Amino acid sequence: MKISLSWLKRYVDIDVPVETLCDKMVMSGFEIEGIEDLSATMSNVVAAKIVKLEKHPDADKLQICQMDVGGDELVQIVTGAQNVFEGAIVPAALHDSHLPNGVHIKKGKLRGVESNGMLCSGEELCLKEGDYPGAEVYGILILKDDVKVGTDMRDVLHLNDVVVDFKITANRPDCQSVLGVAREIAVALKTEFRKPEIAYTTVGGDIADYIKVTVDEPDICPRYMGRVVKNLRIGPSPDWMVDCLRAAGMRSINNIVDITNFVMLETGQPMHAFDLRDVKKNEIIVRRAKNGEEIVTLDDKAHTLTDNMLVIADGEAPSCLAGIMGSAGSGIKDDTTELFFEAAKFRRDSVRKTARALGMRTESSARFEHGVDAGSIPYVLDRALSLIAELDCGDIVDGTIDKVNGFTEQRVIKTTASDICALLGVEIPVEKMVEILNRLEIETVADGDALTCTVPSFRDDVEGRADLAEEVMRVYGYNHIVGTPMRGAVVRGQLLPERRKGDALKRRLCEQGLSEIATYSFISSKALDTLGLPADDERRNEVHLLNPLGEEYSTMRTQLTTSMLTVLSTNFNRKIPAARFFELSKRFVPKALPLTEQPDELPLLSIGLYGEGEDFFTLKGVVESVFDLFSAKPAYERAAEPFLHPGRQAKAVLNGETVATFGELHPDTAEQYGFDTRVYVAEIKMEALYAAKQSVILYKPLPRHPAVERDLALLCDADLPVATIEDAIRKGGGKLLESVALFDVYQGKQIEDGKKSVAYNLMFRKADGTLTDADLEPVLDKIFRLLEKIGCTLRA
Amino acid sequence: MKEKLEALRSEAMNDIAAVQDEQTLDAWRVKYLGKKGALTEILRGMGALPAEERPKMGQLVNEVRAAFEQAFAEKSDNMKNAAKNARLAAETVDVTMPGKTNKGGSLHPLNQTLADMIDIFQSMGFDVVDGPEIETDHYNFEALNVPADHPARDMQDTFYLADNLLLRTQTSAAQIRTMETRKPPIRIICPGRVYRADEVDATHSPVFHQVEGLVVDKGITMCDLKGVLEQFAHEIYGKDTKVRFRPSFFPFTEPSVEVDVSCPECGGKGCRVCKGEGWIEILGAGMVHPRVLSGCGIDPEEYSGFAFGIGLDRLTTTRYKISDIRLLFENDLRFLQQFEGGNVK
Repeated sequence: MKISLSWLKRYVDIDVPVETLCDKMVMSGFEIEGIEDLSATMSNVVAAKIVKLEKHPDADKLQICQMDVGGDELVQIVTGAQNVFEGAIVPAALHDSHLPNGVHIKKGKLRGVESNGMLCSGEELCLKEGDYPGAEVYGILILKDDVKVGTDMRDVLHLNDVVVDFKITANRPDCQSVLGVAREIAVALKTEFRKPEIAYTTVGGDIADYIKVTVDEPDICPRYMGRVVKNLRIGPSPDWMVDCLRAAGMRSINNIVDITNFVMLETGQPMHAFDLRDVKKNEIIVRRAKNGEEIVTLDDKAHTLTDNMLVIADGEAPSCLAGIMGSAGSGIKDDTTELFFEAAKFRRDSVRKTARALGMRTESSARFEHGVDAGSIPYVLDRALSLIAELDCGDIVDGTIDKVNGFTEQRVIKTTASDICALLGVEIPVEKMVEILNRLEIETVADGDALTCTVPSFRDDVEGRADLAEEVMRVYGYNHIVGTPMRGAVVRGQLLPERRKGDALKRRLCEQGLSEIATYSFISSKALDTLGLPADDERRNEVHLLNPLGEEYSTMRTQLTTSMLTVLSTNFNRKIPAARFFELSKRFVPKALPLTEQPDELPLLSIGLYGEGEDFFTLKGVVESVFDLFSAKPAYERAAEPFLHPGRQAKAVLNGETVATFGELHPDTAEQYGFDTRVYVAEIKMEALYAAKQSVILYKPLPRHPAVERDLALLCDADLPVATIEDAIRKGGGKLLESVALFDVYQGKQIEDGKKSVAYNLMFRKADGTLTDADLEPVLDKIFRLLEKIGCTLRA
Repeated sequence: MKEKLEALRSEAMNDIAAVQDEQTLDAWRVKYLGKKGALTEILRGMGALPAEERPKMGQLVNEVRAAFEQAFAEKSDNMKNAAKNARLAAETVDVTMPGKTNKGGSLHPLNQTLADMIDIFQSMGFDVVDGPEIETDHYNFEALNVPADHPARDMQDTFYLADNLLLRTQTSAAQIRTMETRKPPIRIICPGRVYRADEVDATHSPVFHQVEGLVVDKGITMCDLKGVLEQFAHEIYGKDTKVRFRPSFFPFTEPSVEVDVSCPECGGKGCRVCKGEGWIEILGAGMVHPRVLSGCGIDPEEYSGFAFGIGLDRLTTTRYKISDIRLLFENDLRFLQQFEGGNVK
């Protein structure tokens, strides 16, 4: 909330520099979003009188002005404007002056004639009509006759002021007002807070003769108050009011409208002024809109309403969106003679929903959404009437409309000083607490340790002891809180098994040169199309965001590969020759669509590699290392992912379930992601691996008897998987066979087409003695027989 | 004969001095020490000597033999050493050439920072728990004292997936899940991913990370909160780091504070990093709101507690002086590899 210091000073003395004020406010809970010194916007611009005006000898459109700038000598300035005349007082930017639009003025020559500055238009001083009369006129700004020649324009325009932008937290709607902030400043600076006095007289009459108010929705409108003012004398507002509004970012309209805005900013309570001529049937009804009912608001926008929106209607049609904006016709006009002031409380969620639905946000709606205080409304209306009286712009009719639907005026909290201290851990004297709370207008009486606190209605946020503790502490000073080391039993915190296992997994992958990446959990809803997944693929069961930032981030991912491919592609396009990445994240698997309950969030590992030396088997090596870590022995089978190379992809099957798929990226997919290199990706579902019980490690005695080695060279069909051969060898080898190691696969010279040569090193060992040829013979025979069955012949 | 022997000795010694290679050395050995060598030959001539001279001569021959054997052994050793030294010299490598290794990968800087944080809090007895990223309105808002019409809902624009389901905007939901399932004393942190509808720029990301902390026990005070956060700040930023509380507002804590640390860049004097303030904001915290406690079945008259939420991303960027949060999610290998050293602590 932007407030000028001069406005604040109407209610509180501020005798410290603005920086000190801001520091104190920050430490009592009000962050400062900005400090704007209005006087810094321009310099060396003065009110000057045109003493003499001549035509420029060489330019028809230029005039030479001799200016009285308040000094002993006249200053010559050339202007191109045509609206100037001798005797006019105008803003003159002298040599070496700065204008608010950023222009730096220096002396120079215009068509050969010396000009020691520039006469300024309203636009050049960034003024609008509301800031100064005539500001938007085409030409030089003509100042009022009573402006003293030589006066700094900042003084003329009341710019010797500082505007502070206070950030108001959501729990302090009372501080969405100048008075609320002033009250806090008074507490922070330990000085007096002066709430404006109420002073007005009425002229008789009875409000009931002017208007009838009915509240149909007391739940949504807990309080509705109103007053009538007649014989309006509409005109400009006084300078002080214009200045206050301008500093807060509001333009002056006329005295009546300005009073409603001023009071809203001053008290935080929005007001509306109705032109009584336009209140049809002299009746106001606070009711829900009818479905399809229409209203054209002040900003000339037409809205179609629904029955969950609250309107202030007259006898015929809605004239206000409650708490948000009035209709184009209902407000004050230049010739309005009688008005009805409205000040009400509308429920914050009602205003919020309506404002959202209609895409509107106004100073008024923002305040209602944060909450206004029903208990303060009488004061607010009185304040507006006091201003009517002060500005003498209308006659106040007797009688007040006040439709109240129950609100708690005051809350009483009973607690003890020691309980407050116990929560804070700081000893604060009772007297100190009482003093602080009373300054905050929380009337507090101490009886020994016991405190009875009466909370004013505008502090709806103060509900109990903890709130009182905060109020006391933020004023007493958080620097009094002194840290104490953690107390209690000395124990080391525990990790969840899943996190511990994940950490081990990450270390294993890092050791193999894979770097961890982090990518967003939501992706484009079209991402899966790049993988060419069929419509019935389970990964197509995606959860979509109802309100995504954009299509790009609209879908909770069921796989990590598309994110991995994007990262690999980014790196590849940046000419990084090789990369090995992994990401351990979640996949979101809905139990049903559309979503009715929280989806499963299951751990998923993604791996991606490219670069010289990478191939299917380097990828498989990484995949195997993951299974090894968890002592899992999956079976590897051919897979059929549409985005992988049909001949270079596999799945790992564990207990009948596919837990991983991996392989070389299909050239078509690679092209979509902009690769012209081979790329390898894997995805491993981690939940089964995490869940598997890690077997307890028990030492096995080292072998004491020698092993016998046999090398085996086999010839078989080229497409026979080595896993089949190995299975046969293991089956034949039985328990004597200690290990099988494939050491060569060869196709080419000396091998007939369609065949391959495969070589194994076998190790045999007996646990309880030395292995003899007689032991080995039958085993080898069995192995050969089994190998023959699957079409393997021994090479000589 | 004696003269002959002396002549042989000097000849042999001259010869061996000139020997350069093993072949010549072996020839020398055969010539002087061999079975048919010069010394043997002289020994054979001993028979012609008078008997009384024989022992003396025999002694002399043995002396010469010993001298020859020693000379041979020395020469042989010298030559072997020379050969070895020559080989070693020839094998000299350029030690500044790179080692042969499989280059290790690196943990993501976010997770390195998280690992350090977990370590710090574990050592203070905090268990590390987890919670779902897709939350119900109840856990993310209602139970945290943010009812449907509360303006605080505007503080954090929320992504919705269904009427009642949303992407959690804060790890604070874990507070509720923990208090519903554990009895005090409670001491947990919950790290995790959170989501808010912020457009992506240098300091904002719709996806970011928090570490929630919660302590509930009898007699917990704000000073305990400060003590824990001071220890955390000292370990992350150095032991001279100061911690400052500033009043703030969160619906689920009361009192609520923003927590600043003295700027790690300038130590509090004011610099570009802290925008001249001398402090940087690192987290929000407060005493658990009594309504939150009682909503979870914990009596606020008996127990009190504190909670804090640390922004992991901001902590990571300030710690490594990363200028743009987007770098964290771009995953350029050259960026990630800079953090390899961080795997070791």
